[in-house]
Amino acid sequence: MANKTGLYIHIPFCIRKCNYCAFLSFCSEGAPLRDYTNALVNEIKLRASLMRAEAGLREDTSSDGERTVSLDTVYIGGGTPSVLDVSHMRDIVYAVQASFDIKKNAEITIEANPGTLGDNERAIRDRLQAYRSMGINRFSMGVQSMNDNRLRFLGRIHTAEDVELDMKIAREVGFDNINLDLIFSVPGESMDDALSDAQSIVEFRPEHISCYSLQIEEGTAFANQIERGVLTEVSDEEDRETYHRLCSILKSAGYEHYEISNFARTGREDGAALGFGDCDTDSLGKSIYRSKHNSLYWDMSDYIGCGLGASGFVHGTRYRNTADIDKYIERYTAAYIDTMTAATHTIKSDDEERPSTKEHLLLHEEEWRNSPFDNISEAVFTGLRRREGITYKDAVAAYTALECGEEVTGNAEAFFWKVFGEARTGAEEFVESGHLIIDDKGLRLTEKGIDISNQIMALFV
Amino acid sequence: MSYLDNIRNFSIIAHIDHGKSTLADRLIEKTGLVDARDMKEQYLDNMDIERERGITIKLQTTRLLYKAKDGHEYILNLIDTPGHVDFNYEVSRSLAACDGAVLVVDATQGVEAQTLGNVYLALDQDLEILPVLNKMDLDSARPEDARAEIEDIIGLDASEAPEISAKTGQGIDEMLEKLVEVIPPPKGDLDGKLKALIFDSYYDSYKGVVIYTRVFDGSVKRGDIIRMMNTGKNYEVTEVGYCIPGMLPADELKAGEVGYICGSIKQVADARVGDTITLAAKPADEALKGYKKAQSMVYCGIFPAEGEKYENVKDALEKLQVNDAAFNFEPENSAALGYGYRCGFLGLLHMDVITERLSREFDLDVITTLPSVVYKVVLKDGSVLDIQNPSNLPDPTEIAHIEEPIVKAEIMTPNDYVGSIMTLCQGRRGKMLDMEYLTKTRVQLRYELPLNEVIYDFFDALKSRTRGYASLDYEFIRYQPAKLVKLDILLNRELIDALSTIVPEESAQAKGRGICEKLKDIIPRHQFEVPIQAAIGQKIIARETVRAYRKDVLAKCYGGDVSRKKKLLEKQKAGKKRMRQFGTVTVPQEAFTEVLKLDDAK
Repeated sequence: MANKTGLYIHIPFCIRKCNYCAFLSFCSEGAPLRDYTNALVNEIKLRASLMRAEAGLREDTSSDGERTVSLDTVYIGGGTPSVLDVSHMRDIVYAVQASFDIKKNAEITIEANPGTLGDNERAIRDRLQAYRSMGINRFSMGVQSMNDNRLRFLGRIHTAEDVELDMKIAREVGFDNINLDLIFSVPGESMDDALSDAQSIVEFRPEHISCYSLQIEEGTAFANQIERGVLTEVSDEEDRETYHRLCSILKSAGYEHYEISNFARTGREDGAALGFGDCDTDSLGKSIYRSKHNSLYWDMSDYIGCGLGASGFVHGTRYRNTADIDKYIERYTAAYIDTMTAATHTIKSDDEERPSTKEHLLLHEEEWRNSPFDNISEAVFTGLRRREGITYKDAVAAYTALECGEEVTGNAEAFFWKVFGEARTGAEEFVESGHLIIDDKGLRLTEKGIDISNQIMALFV
Repeated sequence: MSYLDNIRNFSIIAHIDHGKSTLADRLIEKTGLVDARDMKEQYLDNMDIERERGITIKLQTTRLLYKAKDGHEYILNLIDTPGHVDFNYEVSRSLAACDGAVLVVDATQGVEAQTLGNVYLALDQDLEILPVLNKMDLDSARPEDARAEIEDIIGLDASEAPEISAKTGQGIDEMLEKLVEVIPPPKGDLDGKLKALIFDSYYDSYKGVVIYTRVFDGSVKRGDIIRMMNTGKNYEVTEVGYCIPGMLPADELKAGEVGYICGSIKQVADARVGDTITLAAKPADEALKGYKKAQSMVYCGIFPAEGEKYENVKDALEKLQVNDAAFNFEPENSAALGYGYRCGFLGLLHMDVITERLSREFDLDVITTLPSVVYKVVLKDGSVLDIQNPSNLPDPTEIAHIEEPIVKAEIMTPNDYVGSIMTLCQGRRGKMLDMEYLTKTRVQLRYELPLNEVIYDFFDALKSRTRGYASLDYEFIRYQPAKLVKLDILLNRELIDALSTIVPEESAQAKGRGICEKLKDIIPRHQFEVPIQAAIGQKIIARETVRAYRKDVLAKCYGGDVSRKKKLLEKQKAGKKRMRQFGTVTVPQEAFTEVLKLDDAK
């Protein structure tokens, strides 16, 4: 279990909703962007202060008990964070800097969509420069396709030309860690279309590429059209063939296939980077451009979620914020937070009352305290998403990480199979069929295994 | 004046949903033996399943006190009856314990097939019938039409039928007055030899079997040695009393009274409904008429699902049997499903209730196989076998012919649906006996139908074709030769015995195709292709293929997705648990019961 902490900040606004999108986002026009920013800043401060107080308690320090929480990553996602004014974004980033200790090599990412950075080159440059000056060092752009017809079909507001311009300026202002998102299996798209999209994206030489098979989510425009028979989903067979061909294109362009849908550039410009099923003995090893923040989700690290509908996982508890924007804005006012924070401070030594105060403060829609089994189970199915899979050691560490976790006796491998005794036969069948590799370190998927990974992961829940 | 003059023994008869249980509740509330705060909704429906389905399966009886306008206080013994075709015999025994019946007719719906069925049962017992129009609080009530139907269809004078609403309590007092007036007091010879009718019984873990009884002659008290006249068994009475509906011990039960008797009886089969209780020392000359042994009409296999223990299933079935004389079971072994039990039921609803109780009350995970009727298989050597499990059907070369049970079905429907009902019945090998216009818009169709055509989904098909308006009543009439064959199902070229069925030769092809198509939908994709075949003997008559799955992966799993993904995987795992492994093929459990639900209209 990696002992890292990340912060996710959600900006739930977009210029328009894409036809495939089921995320929590609102149309930015006429939205209370300023009020939301203020509320978000307040939530960030509040969470930081609660965590400081808690950390102090845990350390049992004799001083005032305040311990600033250090962050390894910050990720500003959405929605489309770039629809906020630069001044709003600055408030948010400053609030993070003021409330947390951001580590020296921290990865600070902002998501943006092409066509939202500015009306002209100057405006785009100003905005990106401003992001740089705030300390943001990673830039993630929702490209999705390099074909204008398909972009329109997806409901995107940008063109391939916008991508080229944004990319050029991003490089010029100094972004040296850029991710581009790509979507494939769009209804009506041929396999060649998808492959040529990938080729075009590779030409930008981004440090990172996220490559998603389009999932038709309930309630989206696409889902509606499919239900009415206007649209036909790409068949599973074609989707999988496209996927594997994309994997090989990206790997041969020097991108390590390090997670089911994620690729990171290695030193090699041409020639095979590592993929699923490969041994790690290759001299290339891990790409230095893997998304550090997203990796937190797959190695059971802590992440704090701020913003509407944001999720977090802190000290073994998963939570999700309210999705009610009015309630969010109304409650996270400065005055309210100040009073409540003051109250927390005065009673912080009283273990009995503190949690209820916290409950009162945070607008959690859901909260779930993991058991050791929850933890190991999540470690396995999130870990299996990665090329290196899940090691027995990390899985067992997730089990024992919680205070209530029992002492582990014997070696990690034996303990792992004691916990998942029932899954063993099934897992071995997947080894037999070439979907899974089990060795003395742990378990990992083969590239073929990715296609049916849910079946394999379901053994471990 | 005799004590008998102040007793009224009656039942409420009604079609499902016409408000019988609600009326019973109102009566109990009104006549005050149960505290209002102890009133659960529908007091007499004491099983969860009954409450959920709004139907009454198991009887309960209760004693009510009513002070009438004539100044006398009357003891009203309400004997509740089950309301489904599967339980006709039980209904008839309950009615035999009464002197009259309140016929509840839904004023918004009018007379239905079951109303009629139960009225005939009541008339068979020479009961005085008081018609009552219920649901008068609804705007759609049309009391005059309902009155006319009662007079036209049933032939009862309904001009003075009280108009009530069991829901709001409207008209209940008038009804009670009328009840006391119309229904006669019981007759009985207190000094005669004991004759008491068992009309219900249930097992109580402290007292043993509790018998509900109506005493016709003589009296019974604690310490008496009683004899069951049909089973011949003797027991010492440990307690007698009245049902209010809780148990209220009394000194004795006298002729004309209704109450309960306990006698350390181990299982309800020893106190079978319809049997006559007499005193061992001074037995009655002859038993009351109408005793019948329970006869199972429908059978199915019940097997422990993956991970469930055989012993648990056995314990549960035994516990259910203690309380249900109509339910029986014996061990069975299936190549596909392993060790389990072959269980006999009165009908489909009875089967549903038992299987649901297994999962609900006993928390068991079981697989139920396709229901089957009992076939009489006449062999060439002249011997006759009763076969209710298709797998036990002898080799076709040994069989002279097969006979199947035929039922007489009465279907009552608005005339708009006559055509589609006739199509349905024809498709089910039905033979029309007659059709009668009961009123201008109401038709009664009488059909002879093979029972095996009725047990799978006939009732559902009937309801869906008539938007729920048609009602069905059926009774067994005889066995009749038919051209029947055994239809086998093979998955991945392996015969799955639990999916074998006996079907008419003429429709075997269509059935085979239908089952294959249905299984194709039910069986999840595997990592390989799974052929599904239907066969008669060696001959394959239909085939489908479940394609191999190619994709089961979640593209994104970020912060907020972890919990969602976990739920999804848990669901997937739970789904897998409910599957059954056959060689390399996994089959969901519902396949075994869903597969024959092939309504041809769909």
